[in-house]
Amino acid sequence: MIKSAHLLFFIFSSMLVHADNQPSPPPLVVAHSAVVVERLSKSQLRSIYLKRQVIWPNGEKIKVYMLPAKSDTHQQFSQGDLQMFPYQLERTWQKLTYSGIGTPPIEVDSAVEMLKIIQTTPGSIGYLPYGNETNDAKVIEIQP
Amino acid sequence: MQKLLKFNLKLIAKITLALTLGQVPFANAADDWHWHGFVAQGIMQAKDSNFVNNDGDVSTKLTEFGLNSMWQLDESFRLAGQLMYLDGGNRYQQGLRIDYLFLNWTAINTLDWQVDFYAGRYKNMHWLYSSTRDVAITRPMIVLPQSVYFDAFRDVAVGSDGIAVQSTYSSSFGELDFNWSLGATPTPKEQSQRIISTLITGATKQDFVHQFSSFFRPSGSKSQWGVSLLDSDFSYRRTDTDIFADGDFTVQRVMLNWRYSEENWELSSELFQERVSVNGFYAPGMQRTQFGQGAYLLARYNLTPQTTLYASYDHFYANKDDKNGHLLPLQTGGQIAEYFGYQRDSAVSLSHNFTDNWRMTLEYHWTEGTGRLGPNVVPDTIVNRSKYHQLWAVQLMYWF
Repeated sequence: MIKSAHLLFFIFSSMLVHADNQPSPPPLVVAHSAVVVERLSKSQLRSIYLKRQVIWPNGEKIKVYMLPAKSDTHQQFSQGDLQMFPYQLERTWQKLTYSGIGTPPIEVDSAVEMLKIIQTTPGSIGYLPYGNETNDAKVIEIQP
Repeated sequence: MQKLLKFNLKLIAKITLALTLGQVPFANAADDWHWHGFVAQGIMQAKDSNFVNNDGDVSTKLTEFGLNSMWQLDESFRLAGQLMYLDGGNRYQQGLRIDYLFLNWTAINTLDWQVDFYAGRYKNMHWLYSSTRDVAITRPMIVLPQSVYFDAFRDVAVGSDGIAVQSTYSSSFGELDFNWSLGATPTPKEQSQRIISTLITGATKQDFVHQFSSFFRPSGSKSQWGVSLLDSDFSYRRTDTDIFADGDFTVQRVMLNWRYSEENWELSSELFQERVSVNGFYAPGMQRTQFGQGAYLLARYNLTPQTTLYASYDHFYANKDDKNGHLLPLQTGGQIAEYFGYQRDSAVSLSHNFTDNWRMTLEYHWTEGTGRLGPNVVPDTIVNRSKYHQLWAVQLMYWF
């Protein structure tokens, strides 16, 4: 009986545990300057990175970019902004790829390359280390 | 055995080399046209059961080769398919098959709500691993918990010909998925023999399979909760020389699932109750209904970013009112032993990614009972004479 009560407590408390106690500050989410969105909730950002949401509200195609999975910035972005662990993201992208329902984000090698692509690619979204220069890219406010 | 091993390794080496050399122009050929694939080859042995073969020898029948393509027709429509070759010994029908081939229409695509329709051979997205079980690199283990992912039903359960709807709604409370599908899967004779009995000579047809599932991920939580429902009818039509009668089968399943993720470890579980009803088949006019139950707990631990350890415990009863199978010998004049009424399996598996595209997996299973060894309706009592049996497997995978 006591064991069952402990199990139930663990299961239900797991619903209340939050995953956002990650290292701060989080990376900056950036998009092409012509993207019509100013802010996104974490849930909406997750929909974009899980490739469920593929067009912006004005109908423009979303082009999603990521930094290498091993980079600190990607780890912080994954856990802080998407509230997913990197292995969960990887698993979801593999599922998309091998189920024929989507493709993973396009990987770029560095923050410099990320900024260059975001500046020049209409409809693009990506992220940069906190404090990185953003120049002509639009910084998207991420809400809880 | 050595000849077989040599032949299979040669075949795999050729395919891998061809794919590796062709990878650059092959993958992502155009922005709207994507190709991917994988090759997996292994060896396995199940000494005291018919899981892989009937003689219990080490077998190279652990071959999986898949090629899939997705063509984005415009912002709302895409066409996707996967051709698969399998050689799994007694586990699956050997040869090529199309796992999925569908037209996908994204009907609603807003920031908070997405709805997709599928027509053709759609993938089963109703269970935790149903849409990834067909791809070696997306499966957590070489052999999934058989209570839910019974290999004899693999082709029937991977996908069906019909229509499906998938929807996700996001709000401040979390994300809610709804999935619905209605279709049927062709059941060739060889596959039916793996499911029903090696002695059948007639034809089996799945009349329909109707499924619904929902998953909820509470906002900010590390857990996911889900429920899925399945209703399916099969019919069997005998031949003149058949020892079995015409029969109709109904399978209905209710399943709950749960997943909890931490940075370095994860737990997932599915539990179900399944009603199996048979009219005829054993004899004209005979009727039999029983409720089976099953559950598994699968743990994952990330030893390093490249090395993952899995452990699972899986439990299945064919009849919830006879969990130890005591009635089976009484009902069959002693022909079917008690241990055909259940199966309990403990397993460990270790996966290591050598590079971004190569993985090796080692796996071991300790099993008691034969309730999830095919065929399912009339079991193989000649080969499966051991209440306790074990299985080991090693598999090398490459993907692009």
